[in-house]
Amino acid sequence: MYKFLLAIWMAVIIVAAFLYAEAATGFPGETSRILFFHVPQAWIATLSFLISMIASAVYLAKRHVKADYLAQSAAELGFLFCVLATITGSIFAKATWGSFWNWDPRQTSIVILLMIYGAYFAVRSAVSDPNRRRVFAAVYSILAFVTVPFLVFVVPRITTSLHPENTMNPAHPGMDPKTLKVFLGSLFAYTGLFVWMLRLKIRVLAIEGLREPKFVNRKSDRG
Amino acid sequence: MHQTKSGRQTTQTESSIYLNEAFAIWFRDLRSEFRTRYALNAILMFAVTTLIAVSFSIGSFRIEEAERPFLYSVLLWIILTFSALSGLARSFVKEEEAGTIDVLKLCARPQAVFLGKLLFNLTLLGALELIIVPSFILLMCYQINFPGFFIAMIISGGLGLGAGTTIIAAMIARASTRGALFSALSLPLLLPLMITCIKGCERAAIGISSAGWPEVKIAVAYFVIMITMSLLLFPLVWEE
Repeated sequence: MYKFLLAIWMAVIIVAAFLYAEAATGFPGETSRILFFHVPQAWIATLSFLISMIASAVYLAKRHVKADYLAQSAAELGFLFCVLATITGSIFAKATWGSFWNWDPRQTSIVILLMIYGAYFAVRSAVSDPNRRRVFAAVYSILAFVTVPFLVFVVPRITTSLHPENTMNPAHPGMDPKTLKVFLGSLFAYTGLFVWMLRLKIRVLAIEGLREPKFVNRKSDRG
Repeated sequence: MHQTKSGRQTTQTESSIYLNEAFAIWFRDLRSEFRTRYALNAILMFAVTTLIAVSFSIGSFRIEEAERPFLYSVLLWIILTFSALSGLARSFVKEEEAGTIDVLKLCARPQAVFLGKLLFNLTLLGALELIIVPSFILLMCYQINFPGFFIAMIISGGLGLGAGTTIIAAMIARASTRGALFSALSLPLLLPLMITCIKGCERAAIGISSAGWPEVKIAVAYFVIMITMSLLLFPLVWEE
């Protein structure tokens, strides 16, 4: 049922993003409307990365298989949304800064984030024993999380960012009330979409888990 | 290893047992490395070949003077990082291949194994840096105006490199595809460190007096955090 409500809500938000909200000043043409899609995508990517990390830690502590399903699903969805945020961000970069890619600190850190996710999937595909795979993936995702603060502090030292921060930050008092309404609605819609996709993905993994062999010859991992 | 663990357990404190076991593993690895020279040869040959390729194709005057501090520092760290990645996984892979991993599990505590392997990897990195960095400076005519900062940057970068890769090596040794996976998993973790080291070496070469040496501090912080996390997480990887 909520799927249909979500579909209607999403459609309303898309229409509102283009017709109801007004384009912010200080940006060429209508480009600021990317706010309603790009920022929620980045938010979902961050959220799912965090969820994946916490679920990994829970798996290591309690060894519940469900925690691992959650960690994996969140990582995969996070990767998807991270790619979307990268693409929309680079379209915006082309429109406002003049090039699709110029190694802005934001772009650098999102690329490293994508690399970390990619490596996480590489760990998963490289180990055939299911339990060992889960432990290694969880360990890797925690290790990767530890390096994120370095990215936050180190990378901005290199160059100054062109990423619009103040003019488009929702907490900024300058944000137009109409824009704010649509933006919050969009955040809500994306989060709903994410929760729905996450639950689907976990169910898929649980069904796949049923087919998993109970005993695996660990020698095959040493070949 | 046997004597250190069995006989003296009652008289020694817990931490000194850890250290004894770690040193025992370190010395054992060093001894076996001296006999086979597998890891050192692999790393050094990789590094020397890359260095020669870089030096041959770029030479010492090809890059304009103003660009040199930055570009040379990038090249140096690319050589160092990828040479390290070519051989550091060896420390755990060889245990797996020789089948000695189960005995090692019985002989020593996981944290001691980690520390021993880390010390061994750091020794290898030290040897690598000792040979490659001076040759790079000579071959490329790399002018460094702030040698103390530069040396500190090289050392702390090496420490971080070892700390970031050792636990990954332990994971790789137990996976089915090893070769490329080690670099693929290590690089995302090492990127923040690499960016810091490149920046630090560039500033050392230009000779900007940086109060407090911030890049060295970041690299040392990375080293400490990686070791702490590895000590916490390594037993899980080791016993799986």
